[in-house]
Parts: sequence; structure tokens; C-alpha cells
Amino acid sequence: MLIRLTNVNKSYRLGRVDVRALDGIDLDVDRGDFLALAGPSGSGKTTLLNLIGCIDKPNGGRVVIDGVDVTAVPLHRLAATRRDALGYIFQTFNLIPVLTAYENVEYPLLLQNVGRRERDARVRRWLDQVDIAAQAKQRPDQLSGGQRQRVAIARAMVAEPKLVLADEPTANLDQATAAHILDLLAKLNSETGTTFVFATHDPAVMSRAHRCVRLRDGRIAEEARALVA
Amino acid sequence: MITRIAFRNVFRNRRRSAITLLVIVFGAVGLILFGGYKQQTFRGLRESTIRSRLGHLQIYKRGFATNEAKKPLEFGLDNVAELRRAVESDKRVKMTAAQITLMGLISNGDKSETFLATAVEPRKEKQMNGQRLVSGTDLPENESDAVILGRGLATSMHAKPGDYLTLMTTTSTGSLNAADVRVAGIFMSGIKEYDDRAVKMPIAGAQQLLQTKKVERLIVMLNETDDTQAVRADLARRLPGIEMKDWSELASFYHQVVLLYNGIFGFLGLIVSAIVVFSVANTILMSIFERTREIGTLMAMGTTRARVARMFLAEGLVIGVLGAIAGVVGGALLANLINRGHIMLPPPPGYTVGYPLRMLMSPSILITAAVISIVTATISSIVPALKASRMKIVDALGHI
Repeated sequence: MLIRLTNVNKSYRLGRVDVRALDGIDLDVDRGDFLALAGPSGSGKTTLLNLIGCIDKPNGGRVVIDGVDVTAVPLHRLAATRRDALGYIFQTFNLIPVLTAYENVEYPLLLQNVGRRERDARVRRWLDQVDIAAQAKQRPDQLSGGQRQRVAIARAMVAEPKLVLADEPTANLDQATAAHILDLLAKLNSETGTTFVFATHDPAVMSRAHRCVRLRDGRIAEEARALVA
Repeated sequence: MITRIAFRNVFRNRRRSAITLLVIVFGAVGLILFGGYKQQTFRGLRESTIRSRLGHLQIYKRGFATNEAKKPLEFGLDNVAELRRAVESDKRVKMTAAQITLMGLISNGDKSETFLATAVEPRKEKQMNGQRLVSGTDLPENESDAVILGRGLATSMHAKPGDYLTLMTTTSTGSLNAADVRVAGIFMSGIKEYDDRAVKMPIAGAQQLLQTKKVERLIVMLNETDDTQAVRADLARRLPGIEMKDWSELASFYHQVVLLYNGIFGFLGLIVSAIVVFSVANTILMSIFERTREIGTLMAMGTTRARVARMFLAEGLVIGVLGAIAGVVGGALLANLINRGHIMLPPPPGYTVGYPLRMLMSPSILITAAVISIVTATISSIVPALKASRMKIVDALGHI
């Protein structure tokens, strides 16, 4: 078991109104899962992803990642967990604009103080893996959406995390590019055994997921497993 | 990587960074020009004060400063020739000059005024060159009854070169004495109050008038001002029975100017620093606002708060270093240009002659300006850096 959420609640204030984003979520994610958190806007899937990603805290309940109860630790103390155990893929790619594709992928390894030679080898391997090596020296504004997302995937994977969280990874891509990206993520999942959790309302992503958890009004409404996992 | 990111981010919004850099450059140039002007003024004032009036050291008979003299030259130096030989045996000493100061009444037969006379050795006095002759000649070397008058006093006495005036004063024994003197020339020192009362006369004439063989002080001129304290210590060891003052103890005007200029310089520095602080802080705050989502992304990837803060501090540092380099180069060039321009400034209060605008370019001035620019720019990025590092990741990622 990589992730265990037990009776997780999260509410936040929107103006003068308290909004209950998550209400008593219980969820287990196994190692190697390829899981989609689906649901309409406001259903709580991004909030759930943020809690799993250790960038937000629940108001109640426990979030255990790889055996560590992250709810017991202040967020700023979880930087090492985020650095070593987690990878992020964002809807809007969120690459660092002043860095080249190579440097963006290199960044997580610098955080881990990986030596220069090993760093270079790993960055090049991952740029190859996501088929973006030819654009290594280009900055994000010189890349297409699909290319940017490939760089973002390489950046999320280069530190070899146990878990990659992807928030609407195909939402800003055209259908063909989205399909390629999904193929790539599925391949990485099967080849590396890395656990992937997506927040999505893209049916294509849901159809590729081994497991799909549907959220509605902050609760788990339905869960489905693919026949072939 | 932090420096690389900082450096590239500085050039991300070129126009904004250019404006900030310009503010720092102007600040640094201002500091360099004013600092150079200040140093030049200090050095010029110090050297002119020493070379034309005070000397590096003044030697008196022991007890001169602490005892109240009841009669003129009661604490005068008796055997000045022997003392002079002893002092001049030191190779660091350029020359010595005996002096007597006295005051009394000066009269043209119709009108009397108080005078303040300095009795000097004419040959030595020429070397000190502290005044400018307006008319007539300098003090002749072998004429004990010749005097030169300050311009204000000459005007007041309606005196011109060749006229005779009478000096009256108290002698060293306490009686009154008078002597007729010939006006050899008229001079101006540049200080009006002094020129309105000043008389210069030969030592021999003053000794006749005061009925004494003593002199009041021996002025010691050195080759290098920096040797002052060392020579003073050596003389104090070798020559008992004397007491000394160095130029710094006597140059109260010099110290007042230093104090005033340092005050102005400090205030100017504060204003410049405040402008730089606000400008750099504004630039970095704007940058943080624009890059909020980027900061969220970095933190989501595991970048620590401290590293985020360091990233923005590094941006302040990069801006400061770039501004300091450009400012130092610009300041040095401008100072050089001004020095070559031979610009004359109007006379300062109390003076009657102007002086050239010059800037001394010493490494300490350039380094100080550079350090102030860099430190100020870095300090001004502290608050924005802390603000960035304390962002909530979720809020930062959701920022549009």
C-alpha cells in the first residue's frame, strides 16, 4: 500500500461561506496503480490530489504516504518528501520559463544534490525517454504544448519518485497529443512501476486508467476497475 | 542553479530591471562623485592648512599650553637655533620656521585699529606660500621694519605699499612699545575676517617691538603628512623641555568641515540607499507577484522555503552587483571628465576666492559605493524573499 486516506475532510472558506471540498474520504492506492480521480468541477478531485501531494493539509482524517502520516507534519517540513517521493505534472505544464528543457528536467536532481555526471546521464535518459532530446536547449516558450508536457513528465520522473500526481495532464492538449501523452504515461507506469494518480474529467484518461474513482460533492460516489490492469 | 535562475530572471523583464539598474547606477555615481569631491576637499583643505599656516607640528616651550602667560612670550622658546638643529636633523623634516603672534593697535596717524600680527621668517614664509599678494612686494628678508597687511586692514588704514604706519603693543616685560613700520605689500588669505586684522612682519621686527630674543613657536614642516605622529613621538623622546601640537589638534576648521561633509555624505547615502531599497524591493515584489505560480511549482517539487528565499535574495544580489559595476565604471568616468573640465566653484562662505571642482578617485571610494549598492540591493530583497518563501503552495499554484 502506497497511499492510505482515512476519513479525510477538507473545507475552505470562499468569501463568507465555508465550502466542504472533501467529506469523509477513505481511499487506498496500491504501488503501481494507474488511478484516475474523476468527477465534475468542484467535486474535490484537485483538493484530494493536493492532500496526497503534501501541498495541503486536511481538516480531519489521516493521509499516510509510504507508511508516513503526513498529516502530523507541518507542510514546510514535507519538502523532502515532495522532493524524493513525489512527482508533479500540471495541467498548464508549469515549467520554469527561464530554464531550458534540459535545465527544467535537471532541477529536481539539483534539489537532491545528485552529482554532475549522474545528473547529466539521467537528464539525457529521460529526455530521450519522452522523445524531447532534440529540444533540450530550448526554453518552454519555444516548445509546443505537447512538447512542454513531455518535458514536465521527464521532470516529474527524473528523480524516480514512487508516486506521480497529474492534475488534468491532457486538458491543454489537442486530442492526438493527449493520446500520445497518455500512451507515454501508461508506458512509464508499466515499465517503471511508478504509481500514477490523475485528477481528470477527460474520458480518454478515465478509459486508460486501471482504476477510476468518481467523486461527487467531496465524496467518493463510485469506483471502477478496468478489466485489464 | 540559484544564481543562474536569478541572473536570467533579472533579464526576464528587461525594461523593469533596466529602470531598477538605472536607479542603482545613479545612486552609485552620486556616492562616487560626492565621495570623491569630499575626499579631494579634505585632502586639499588639510594640506593647505598644514602647508600655509599650521605646519605638521608646532613646538612650544613646556608649559605653554597649560599655563596662563601674564606677559607676551613668558613661555617663549629661548634657544631656537639649537632646537632647530635638533629637529632638522630628522630626514623626514622638510623645514622649520619660527613664529611669534602678537596683537595691538595699528595707526595711520588719523585712525587706529586692532591688529593681529604673525611674525615670521620671510624666507621660510615664502616657501609656505599661504597668502596671495594683491600689491607691493613680499616681506623683504633683511628689513626688520617692513610689514605686509591683510587687504581688509589696508583698506581700513587707507594704506598702500610704501606708506608708514605705527604698531603699538605690550612688550615681554609688560610695558608699552611702539614702532614705525613700512608697508611693503598687501595680501589676501581668502578668509575675510583674518584679512581685516592681519599683519605679517619679520621675526626680528617683532622681537624689537616686544623687546625679547625669544620666539613663540617653531613650526615643523614634514615631507609627508603621514609621518606626523611618528616624528612627533621621536621628537618627544629626544627633546625634553618642549611640548608639541600636531596639525590635527590645531585645525579646528578642518575638523568642522570634515564633520559637516561626513554628515551631508551620510545623509545623502541614506537617501540614496532608501531610493535603492524601495526600487529594488518594488521590482522583486512585482516579479514575485508575476511568478507566484512558478514559486508554487518549485515548492511542490520539493524546493525548501530557504531555497526559495535564497533565489530571490540572489536576484537582489545580481541586480546590486550589475548596478554596482555599471555605477563604479560610470562614476569613475564622470569624475575623470569633471576633473579634466577645470570647473571653478564659487567661494565658500567666509572666503573670497573660488576653487576648482575636483574629485579624488581612490579605491576606497569606489569600493564603498559598490558595497553600498550591493548590500542595499540585497537587503531590499529580504522582505520580498521572505514573502515568497512563506507562500501557501496551494494558493500559489492556483494563482492566475
